[in-house]
Amino acid sequence: MNETIVSYLGETLGYSFNWAGTLAIFFIASLVLASIMALIGGLGTYAERKISADIQMRYGPNRVGPYGILQFLADGVKMLLKEDCIPRDSDRFIFKLSPMLCLVGVLASLAVLPTSSGFILANLNVGIFYLLGATSVVGVGIFLGGYSSNSKWAMLGGMRGAAQIISYEVPVTLTILSIVLIAGGLSMNTLVGGQGAFPNDWYIFHNPFSFIGFFVYFIGSLAETNRAPFDIPEAESELVSGYHTEFSGMRFAFFALSEYIEVFVLCAIAAALFLGGYNIPFGLQEHGLLGQLLQLAVFFTKSFFLYYVVIWIRWTLPRMRVDHLMILCWKYLTPIALLNLVGTAVWMYCFDGKSFYMILKQLFVASGQ
Amino acid sequence: MNMFLMIIFTLSAFLAVGGALSVAFAKNLIHACVYLLFSLIGVAGLYLTLGAEFVAATQLVVYVGGVVVLLLFAIMLTGGSNLHHVTSRFGLESTPLMGNLRTYIMGIVTALLLIAVLCNVLQGSISASAVVESKFSSTVEQIGVKLVTDHILAFEISSVLLLGALVGAAIIARPYRSSETEN
Repeated sequence: MNETIVSYLGETLGYSFNWAGTLAIFFIASLVLASIMALIGGLGTYAERKISADIQMRYGPNRVGPYGILQFLADGVKMLLKEDCIPRDSDRFIFKLSPMLCLVGVLASLAVLPTSSGFILANLNVGIFYLLGATSVVGVGIFLGGYSSNSKWAMLGGMRGAAQIISYEVPVTLTILSIVLIAGGLSMNTLVGGQGAFPNDWYIFHNPFSFIGFFVYFIGSLAETNRAPFDIPEAESELVSGYHTEFSGMRFAFFALSEYIEVFVLCAIAAALFLGGYNIPFGLQEHGLLGQLLQLAVFFTKSFFLYYVVIWIRWTLPRMRVDHLMILCWKYLTPIALLNLVGTAVWMYCFDGKSFYMILKQLFVASGQ
Repeated sequence: MNMFLMIIFTLSAFLAVGGALSVAFAKNLIHACVYLLFSLIGVAGLYLTLGAEFVAATQLVVYVGGVVVLLLFAIMLTGGSNLHHVTSRFGLESTPLMGNLRTYIMGIVTALLLIAVLCNVLQGSISASAVVESKFSSTVEQIGVKLVTDHILAFEISSVLLLGALVGAAIIARPYRSSETEN
């Protein structure tokens, strides 16, 4: 099992790196991953506009580049060239800091993103737990962004955002815990490696509780990233634009980018925990670089599918009210998640860790004899 | 300790100590809270260099995600930036201002207590004299096994305490319902 990308490269190339090499590799790998994620975030805005246009029977952006695909670059240039406005009565230090905190939290969580069995920056043995910790920095960033603007709308949006993120961490964490029970480890490679390439080996179909757990996790992660129907921190009809009302130019772009990357990260985690992650069939992962590339392709396909579903939901469902949101979290999702946790534990104890499919198969084999 | 760990250690230590000093010297409470965030992240980095990943991740989840946000909420709901002018309806300062006799006494007592505890801890680690050699090998499994075998009593007591806190929070958060209005 590869601990980090450095040890993977070291094993493949047959060369042991000293500290400078380790640092350089980490630096380059982080840069590449962050750039790819920024690209995915940018393309996410394009996808969002195109899919929303499709749903609303419009064209969407179609002027810049073929099918308007370069629209996000044009947007980025516009953001860079905008005047950097800072409100006079704002808390300047925190105002400058909060968009960075958001982006730092999201980018830090990329370190354990299991894109393939080899291309993982650091296979920490507490991978998923670290990811929960890193993404919780985003909540602080949103809250501080709302506070520092010194505006009522931003303040309300920031407080709603922080309250929502803290609340929905509870069902999400409990659901992840039930998957950890099945896999028997917190590291990403353990969690993904316990599954197979075909749906019958995925954790979503492992037992009835994990099937419900997938939906609890998905709803919770929608709320954690402030996506519709849970986007009350930036509800346009009530709060102008929520916690980033006063932000313009690149500072606003940091908020938007961190949101889109976080959506991708949480979709990727859903794909890794429930939908088999990067697993490919027929032992293809043994074929060195080709296997790794296939794993990357499988992983990104699953993640992008979930990303599509997230956008689809946003443009289909109306926004929830604040109190309904909290009721959904504390009175429905949290009890369901707790029940799932206990149910998974009981299942693992009663059926000796076998999945639903394995039990059925055993029954068929036994009845055949 | 190799050079890579050394670099990470130095960065984390500067973050932790610099953050802590900034907390102590910050005039603005919210700024102090943000510096505390940096300090806590630095401490998490220190745990990582010791090989205690689980403790580092717990530090992030509990302190960065929970305690700092809680502190921010508490500061925000008790006054914000003009905290120095807040007086209660009886004309008393509702928050003790920094720099009067009471706070100095409290600070000195706390500092003495902390120094006493630190001296004890440092004495133990100096006499053991193998701190650098024996890296923490605390994986999740080891912590879990220790929690439900050797430290089961502390584990159970803290779980009861947390349950009590949860029930208390739920009761405090309940809206006062008079008999004629519902929901």
